[in-house]
Amino acid sequence: MFKNYLKIAWRNLIKDKTFTFINVIGLSVAFGVAILLFMAGFFELSYNSFHKNGDRIYEVYSVQQSPKGPQAGTTMPSPFAKSLQNEVPGIEKITRVLDVSTMALYKDKEINLDAVWVDPDFFSMFTFPTINGSSNGLQDISSVVITENASKKIFGNSNSVGKTFNLLISGIEKPFTVSAVVGNNPTNSTLDFEIAIRFENNPEYASTIDEWDSQYHSVYAQLQNDVSVAQFEQNTQEFVNLHYKEAIENLKRDGAVANANGKYRELKLLPLKDVRFTSFRKGYAAISRSTPIIILGIAGLILFIACVNFINMSIAKSAQRLKEIGIRKTLGVKKKQLFFQFWGESLFIFLIAITIGIILSVLLLDNFKSIFRTAVTLDIVTSPLVIIAFIAIILLITLIVGGYPAILLSRIGTIQSLKGKLDTSGKNRVRDVLMIVQFGIAILLITATLILRSQIEYMRNKDLGFNKEQVVSIPLNGKKNSYSALQLLKQELNGNPDILGVSGSDNNLGRGKDGSQSFSMMGFDYKGRTVSTNFLVVDYEYIPTLDVEMVMGRNFNSPADSLGVIINEAMAKELGEEDPLTAQLEINDGVYYPVLGVVKDYHFQELDRAINPLTYYMSKDWDLTYAYVKVASSNMANSFDAIEDAWHKIEPNAEFLGSFLDENIDRTFQREKSMATLITSGSVIAIVLSCIGLFAMSMLIVSQRTKEIGIRKVVGASVFSVTYILTKDFLKLVLVAFIIASPIAWWVMNEWLQNYAFRIDLSVWFFIISGFLALIIALATIGTRTIKAARQNPVKSLRTE
Amino acid sequence: MLLELKNIFKWVNSGGQRIFLLKDINLEVEEGEFISIMGPSGSGKSTLLNVIGMLDAFDEGEYNFLHESVHTLKEKHRANLYKEYIGFVFQSYHLLDELTVQENLEMPLLYKKYKGTERKAMVADMLDRFNIVGKKDLFPAQLSGGQQQLVGVARALIANPKLILADEPTGNLNSAQSEEIMELFKKLNSEGVTIIQVTHSEKNAAYGSRIINLLDGRRI
Repeated sequence: MFKNYLKIAWRNLIKDKTFTFINVIGLSVAFGVAILLFMAGFFELSYNSFHKNGDRIYEVYSVQQSPKGPQAGTTMPSPFAKSLQNEVPGIEKITRVLDVSTMALYKDKEINLDAVWVDPDFFSMFTFPTINGSSNGLQDISSVVITENASKKIFGNSNSVGKTFNLLISGIEKPFTVSAVVGNNPTNSTLDFEIAIRFENNPEYASTIDEWDSQYHSVYAQLQNDVSVAQFEQNTQEFVNLHYKEAIENLKRDGAVANANGKYRELKLLPLKDVRFTSFRKGYAAISRSTPIIILGIAGLILFIACVNFINMSIAKSAQRLKEIGIRKTLGVKKKQLFFQFWGESLFIFLIAITIGIILSVLLLDNFKSIFRTAVTLDIVTSPLVIIAFIAIILLITLIVGGYPAILLSRIGTIQSLKGKLDTSGKNRVRDVLMIVQFGIAILLITATLILRSQIEYMRNKDLGFNKEQVVSIPLNGKKNSYSALQLLKQELNGNPDILGVSGSDNNLGRGKDGSQSFSMMGFDYKGRTVSTNFLVVDYEYIPTLDVEMVMGRNFNSPADSLGVIINEAMAKELGEEDPLTAQLEINDGVYYPVLGVVKDYHFQELDRAINPLTYYMSKDWDLTYAYVKVASSNMANSFDAIEDAWHKIEPNAEFLGSFLDENIDRTFQREKSMATLITSGSVIAIVLSCIGLFAMSMLIVSQRTKEIGIRKVVGASVFSVTYILTKDFLKLVLVAFIIASPIAWWVMNEWLQNYAFRIDLSVWFFIISGFLALIIALATIGTRTIKAARQNPVKSLRTE
Repeated sequence: MLLELKNIFKWVNSGGQRIFLLKDINLEVEEGEFISIMGPSGSGKSTLLNVIGMLDAFDEGEYNFLHESVHTLKEKHRANLYKEYIGFVFQSYHLLDELTVQENLEMPLLYKKYKGTERKAMVADMLDRFNIVGKKDLFPAQLSGGQQQLVGVARALIANPKLILADEPTGNLNSAQSEEIMELFKKLNSEGVTIIQVTHSEKNAAYGSRIINLLDGRRI
């Protein structure tokens, strides 16, 4: 019996090559893409899940009620961690984590390393398995733990335990000994380092050892087994009141309003697994897994579309199987047997499609990774649990998708099926609903694509208030003191007619090739209240080099002009002075800095933030970290090479990581860009699959209506009117899909755009264009078939009936 | 007695009117009979045959088949009953195009839990009996109409039914082929198989032992 079914199934598939092909290809592509997307989605969700103690590790953050509303942040002062552990019960282990890269010097090599500056508990809290050396490698203050990669970079091999090399810290070389080599960080880790150094060695430590108001690093705590987060957070209140007494009093003085618990400042714990998905921008920890969920959602939608195609085609094709069903019934087949026969056939197609899909996904994995910038690996899908889940999902899908048509077919009455006539006169509700959903999804994705791309274009083309096209920023990653390196660069490029200016600051604009982004803020008392501002240490020519516009006062005159500051308009507003140039800011205790000038607001941070107060300051106490070079608009490539040459002369051992600011800005949209690529590809695939389905449906409907077409033509219908009649029904479906999908698209995209302080307007055109696009695609798909049918000689179409 | 119909009515409602397809049909069939049902188009011949074959339901009346009252049986039992005792022959043969002659013959046996070897033997036996051994690997489309109907009859017979229902078995055949099939029926009948056929042709009807005439769903 089984053999008989297989035979029938196989011969049916062979007989209808177009259908089989369309079905298998559609399903295979959908499965392949869905597997990749599921992998990417689950990979994203798996961040930080590899730590054995992960359930008990939390990042500590604070929320304080400023006069402008709540502010949340993860930066903590140096004495914080130890005091917290000593004064609040419940902490098993705690570590400070400062993430600042450092330079390793070994023989004549100069290597920049991603570094974490941590406490000894770090390696017993987090799971970074040791390959060589001690499992608790940071007992000694001058010992370091490095990753396998770093070991190879510095020493050329992975067993470097016991070897000594130097680190450049605040311009001074200090010897360190490797006590352990750990495996490279898993790609799904938010803690990303090549070297772990004892926290006490960090350049800020000496000056901040007892400073509670200098916050610059994060803190991770591992709670004792039986301690609840809520209880712990409650217990910290006394600690907060003690150590932040002054800060809280200032908040009260400045008119801050206590939160719902009556508190001005609180400590909270953020679970390690949420770290990747948390944003503090709105003044609280907003945890959003929307990216992986969108990815998984698209995968689901694509699978859904392919399954709908399969269901629709199976049902439509069943007309051709009616006779067989009838005959089998007269021979005494049971409903159950019929069901299993048809379900088995579906299963058969699914198995083929899944096999091809898996092969596709494996073949495309590398491309997928580079296009969508995900570090997903096949490891994630090779665990038995995942495989079982995968098989279960596949079985479920086949059961539903193959089972539904099978049930329909096995229910048909004997006489009806023997006559070979199924009631197909347009009353197929299920089919219509499925096709509407399918087109709705396509329209939704097209709209999302259009809006996403417009927002990215908007952000790219927006005038940011500084010259991003002609300025190159170069990380000062060499061994030399930053000020002398900058001075040398100025000398080296002096006289080159294409170089229009050279300057420096302690922060980059956008994200450079070094991948680092940071910000520093400071607060001080101004006329009896606290004012906080972003803080930028600059070289005196910074403002003209970046073409930032001055609206008031003057720029710094010379490197010696360091007794005043320059502020932006937002800061001027914050100060609230009628004439901001009269203001004196107490940046260091007891020293007042006059405001020399005010610059026009410009976007020194990403566009998802409003423009915040900013203060420029010159002081050799703080290092510069980036040099900026403005080049003439002609010969830009040559100028860039000249800069690179100059840099190599100055720092022969350091890597040149300079890049134009517009590239840096582009890099900050990486998330949006890969999301746009993903949704675009998703919508293209969704549309192609919907079209495949539509094409097959039009083929079938045309063949079912051959007789009708013949009759209409005999009585004098034109090609156009016949085409119109055949097309009309489909167009109705597209229209309904448009009406349903557009509001959903509007809502979703509007929510998404709220993330951006500067955003495009949601114009009606986005929706009209995507609806139109869907319509045209649908027309093109069914047009060829219907016109061909309409043009056929009626005698011929009547004869075939 | 093989089967008995008592006051069978079957109707459809169309435009608020009740149109009778079968009206007060009474019929007794003994084992070994060869009955021809005749009548003009639309007189209810095929409907009556389908009711007898239990493929179609009726609205009123009683139907006893081998002392089982069909009208009270559940569909599953009814299917078992006709699967066991009835073979069907159709005007348009209704062979499965995707299966060869041999596979078509084997199909009814698949639903009756015969073992593989048994099935093979029965199929070989039937191929032999109908002289179509040489055609066993051909598909229906490769056969003439007469040959296809021969396979159709062979398939109906393969599970040794007590009753063969034939709905215009020669309707698509030429006269020589028709005669061949009717001779076959006559021979089968003489071997003890009960046959009920629907036919338009007086000549074919003459092969039977009894003729039932229908007009507008009523026996006359």
